Amino acid sequence: MLFFIGQVFPYIAVAVFLLGLVWRVRSWLKVPVPFQITLFPAPHSLTGRVTAVGKEMLLFSSLRRGDDGLWFWAWLMHITLAMIIAGHIVGIYYLTHQFTLIGLTEAASSQVSAFLGAVAGVGFFMALIVLLYRRMAIPEVKRLSDPADYFELCLLLTIVITGMHMRTVSEVNLPVIREYLGSLMMLRPVPIPQEWIFVSHFFLVNVLMLYFPFSKLIHMAGFIVNRAMLVEAAPSYPTGEEHSHGGISRDARVSKGGAQL
Amino acid sequence: MMKPPMHVAKAKEVEAIGFPLTAESEQPFQAISKLGHLKEEMRSLMVMLETCTKCGKCAEQCHSYLGTQDYYNFPAARAELMRRVYKRYFTLQGKLFGRFAGAEDFDGETLTKWLTYFYQCNECRRCALFCPFGIDTAEVTIAARHILSELGIMPRFMQGVAANMAKTGNNMGLPKLAVIDNAEFMEDEMREELGIDIKIPIDKPDSDVLYIPSSADFFTNVDTMIGAAKLFYHLGLNWTISTTVLEAANFGLLFNLDVMKEHNRRLTDAAHTLGAKLVIQGECGHGWRAAKMYTQGANGPVPFQIRHILDFAAEHIDHLPLQKLPIRATLHDPCNYGRAGDLIEQPRKVLRAIVDEFVEMTPNREENFCCGGGSGLLMEEMKEIRMQLGKKKADQVMALGSLDYLVIPCSICKAQLPAVMDYYGVKDLKMGGLMDLVGKALVLK
Repeated sequence: MLFFIGQVFPYIAVAVFLLGLVWRVRSWLKVPVPFQITLFPAPHSLTGRVTAVGKEMLLFSSLRRGDDGLWFWAWLMHITLAMIIAGHIVGIYYLTHQFTLIGLTEAASSQVSAFLGAVAGVGFFMALIVLLYRRMAIPEVKRLSDPADYFELCLLLTIVITGMHMRTVSEVNLPVIREYLGSLMMLRPVPIPQEWIFVSHFFLVNVLMLYFPFSKLIHMAGFIVNRAMLVEAAPSYPTGEEHSHGGISRDARVSKGGAQL
Repeated sequence: MMKPPMHVAKAKEVEAIGFPLTAESEQPFQAISKLGHLKEEMRSLMVMLETCTKCGKCAEQCHSYLGTQDYYNFPAARAELMRRVYKRYFTLQGKLFGRFAGAEDFDGETLTKWLTYFYQCNECRRCALFCPFGIDTAEVTIAARHILSELGIMPRFMQGVAANMAKTGNNMGLPKLAVIDNAEFMEDEMREELGIDIKIPIDKPDSDVLYIPSSADFFTNVDTMIGAAKLFYHLGLNWTISTTVLEAANFGLLFNLDVMKEHNRRLTDAAHTLGAKLVIQGECGHGWRAAKMYTQGANGPVPFQIRHILDFAAEHIDHLPLQKLPIRATLHDPCNYGRAGDLIEQPRKVLRAIVDEFVEMTPNREENFCCGGGSGLLMEEMKEIRMQLGKKKADQVMALGSLDYLVIPCSICKAQLPAVMDYYGVKDLKMGGLMDLVGKALVLK
């Protein structure tokens, strides 16, 4: 069993995650956009379009319009998740000594790492709890929700609880885990360290990856494809002719029969 | 079994406009198959059905839900009517996990719910503005109505409009003689008022400009037509109206995309025939969206310009001889001008130039609420529901205190809002188009 969980399942999960994501996005991009659905006011240049989508991605500005509190918790959840993912990559690779790169001592770096990890973990946990509560407390949202909506929140909650557990209650042996993860990446997997809290955390993350492309979590990719359609340039007539945007347009000079305009 | 709130067109009627009614037992199967086709033709539909996280943000932003308090008028719940069956038949998630993931079979009730609730969405796109992913329920509504009409299921109101359009080139069913008559009547009006001969040319060959008014401007909203005619007269334009497309509205966009293309072809054909370099659309919201955003996709490259009368008026307003009107006016932004049509500042520029006092309602511009009649929900039998859909708008107007004039520069708004204001007890408020006021402020000699 541990052989499967430690040396087989991670490869299945990563492959399904990546291929599933590509497959879903491809299935959208294959379908044409017969009519532009630009939502105005819309940006006029490529830079403007990239900035607009980027701003949405970083700040959730549409969600913030006429805010009812959802914005804060949704944004907190996503920003702490981003911190957690980044923290895992550098924290494990440098064994929490990543901040020596900016001049801290190893001990100080570990402390900063632990502090930031705790902030992100607690923030993520609280945001998930609030979102779960909200899903049950608002009648319309409750009626709209399916078991899958609760399952996803609960899965993330168990992942963050087991993760926090490793950094607080049970101190796991980080170098051993790093060696194991490194061996997975080098495609020469060694047995998984037999620390039950790590095994369960790691297993749940793999379940999440396996589930991800087939669930609403795909909104990560749908966000970009959808927003790209909304900021697309409107058609300009006569076809192909560029004219100034945003302000009042002017016509081709019409002279026949009438005054020069 | 629930009953949809509108009169549904009979088998003979839908057959007459080319949409034979699918047998009831065949309907669910056919609907699923049409949905399967549409998802391969419309990226917006596919992505929007697959991206919602059901956060519920849209509920408080939808005038339809706020006005009716009916769960299925909450945008995400409305879209779920399609999303649940879509999941069941077209996604791996739905096939694997079924109800756990919110997938549902297509049953007899589903179609009735579609007919009931996709015809209580005004396609105003406000939800798209507030959705974190920009999911536009109007896209789902357009798709659902298209599928229904393909099965021969549509409100009788839509069927009637489509039949009129095919027969006469306008929604009202005005024959050419009546059009000429009405044009003469308006010319007489202007002659009486100003002592000048201002023409409203009908089917005049070799015209530079094709003006496409709403057919209601020849009927109930004549002041809008008169305003446009005065502006063109002052500018010395060589313009005409074409009886083949005396209709800025395009109801195809509101119930069947092929009908939309067909109507749109009338626009391009008429411009070709006349040799017009410029097509100007009159005051009509969704018609402007159809002309601006759909013409190229529907009928290929467009060799002429397409502009809106308010964009055109805004360009010239600074150079017109004007006498400001002594009124306090506010502007209702038709959804298809603001969010869907990029006409946000132009009407404001025009209005500021022609009235003494212009006040904004809150919210305004792209955040404005729909009048409640959008997407062609003007059928008499839905009046009670329509009044609920217009509640938010009535609140907005009442919050402004005393007003002389409410600018509603769209034919659907013009049909809906007087009834709404009356229903909510707003008395003595004049309402009408923006070109109406331009015509009144313009000093012609």
